[in-house]
Amino acid sequence: MAVAGSAVGLGNFLRFPVQVARNGGGAFMIPYFVALLLVGIPLMWVEWTIGRYGGGFEHSTAPGAFHSMWQKNRFIKYFGVIGIFGPLVIMIYYTYIESWTLAYSWFSLTQRYGSALDQEAMQSFLRGFQGLEKNEFFSSMAPAYIFFLITFIVNISVLYKGIKGGIEKFCKVAMPLLLFFAVILAVRVLTLGAVDPSVPENNVINGLGYMWNPDLSLLREGRVWLAATGQIFFTLSVGIGSILTYASYLKKGDDVALSGLSAVSMNEFSEVILAGSIVIPATFVFFGAHAVGAIADSGAFNLAFVTMPLIFQEMPLSRFMGFLWFGLLFLAGVTSSVSLAQPAIAFLEDEFDITREKAVKIFAAVTFLLCNAVIFFLRFGVVDELDFWGGTFCLVLFAAVEVILFGWVFGIDRAWEEVHHGADMRIPRIYKYIIKYVTPAFLLIVLGVWFFQEWIPIIGMETVPAANRPYVFATRVALVALFGVLSIMVKIAWRKRKRGRVS
Amino acid sequence: MTLLGWVFMACSWFFILALSSFCFYKIFSKKKLD
Repeated sequence: MAVAGSAVGLGNFLRFPVQVARNGGGAFMIPYFVALLLVGIPLMWVEWTIGRYGGGFEHSTAPGAFHSMWQKNRFIKYFGVIGIFGPLVIMIYYTYIESWTLAYSWFSLTQRYGSALDQEAMQSFLRGFQGLEKNEFFSSMAPAYIFFLITFIVNISVLYKGIKGGIEKFCKVAMPLLLFFAVILAVRVLTLGAVDPSVPENNVINGLGYMWNPDLSLLREGRVWLAATGQIFFTLSVGIGSILTYASYLKKGDDVALSGLSAVSMNEFSEVILAGSIVIPATFVFFGAHAVGAIADSGAFNLAFVTMPLIFQEMPLSRFMGFLWFGLLFLAGVTSSVSLAQPAIAFLEDEFDITREKAVKIFAAVTFLLCNAVIFFLRFGVVDELDFWGGTFCLVLFAAVEVILFGWVFGIDRAWEEVHHGADMRIPRIYKYIIKYVTPAFLLIVLGVWFFQEWIPIIGMETVPAANRPYVFATRVALVALFGVLSIMVKIAWRKRKRGRVS
Repeated sequence: MTLLGWVFMACSWFFILALSSFCFYKIFSKKKLD
């Protein structure tokens, strides 16, 4: 249940529609499904299995789990650092975006956005709230900061109580409620028809067409494949390191095959069928095809915050509906953000022998500082930069390392046997070859094509506005420094462990 | 929406619903393989 909670979150309802819109609608869905079948599902099994295997050696995070699988190699543990670094980077901006859902839940109840009746006004409301401009809705960032503080405290409290006491109990209530409410919303959107009779082409059917009409010309662009692969990773929480940490708490005889597949199916149901039937068609109906892309380009998570309040205004009990929807989204966000925090906390607990309470306190102090940087530098493109490196690039890189380790170093025959220990289902045999050959090749090709097509413009910050470049550069320096600190911590932990064994 | 779009959407939805049904069925008829 905790893994399902980590899989179903803001990635489904906020990030997915933006990725669809930014990458050509229907053009995005083909690589998306290819990545799901050839990368997402196999990696789910790989990560659950590596986690359970590492847990047998009392390691709950990637550096230790990787080292358990390839004990002769001194450097493999440093590749595992990506499995702590990636979720930590995502957590830094995810918590802030999660706090927007809490804020919008409150704004729905109080009808704070009630006077924003069209797309421009609603975008202005969002920009005012984010502190990007002062306008008639907001004169300062104080409301955003207060909601962030509440969100941060909720997250730390849940983490403090641990998986069984905090996260699982939370998921058991939040998940079914969120799915039930999403079904109601999907039905409402699909029965909207054309809202503005003067623009009949802006209707639900064309909205669905925006998402599903395949555009084969964009398939040659590495950017679309990397974005689709990145979304699969983000939404399934694979290539991040948090599933590995959760799976490390399983016993050797516990199932990983069916559990992994169930988490995938639940996630895809809520993402493709529910979120795909809500945000994109609704945005299309209200604003038209051109606006879908434009709003998506304004920020990696903005689309639903502009669109959904307008949909609620078209529904009966709009206050209550908006309050419930954003509230449930907040709960789903919390289940995901606490899972992002798990690797770093488990790393401190396992490798430095400190108590969970102390580990949570250290984690809280560090992430609080980093979150503040995100809040105050949001306008300079910091979130999009963190989302690219932490939420896309690192995930693909980490997955490539773990699948090669699993299929080639650990050995696919041994790995296949390990996946099926205590399994409730037999995985189709074709996946043995997919895991060994196709998944690593797919990931290396995506990385290679992206490197060939986009590396120079991205490194040279050619797409970043000139005013934002110093901030984006500083973000990159901070990310390198964070990775360096984590690597040094791994080195210290292993030296300590070695000394402990000698004495 | 084009015909290809309808077909693509129908196949995708069918795949996801079939996968979810399979998982539910397996969860509620739990039998260990070994």
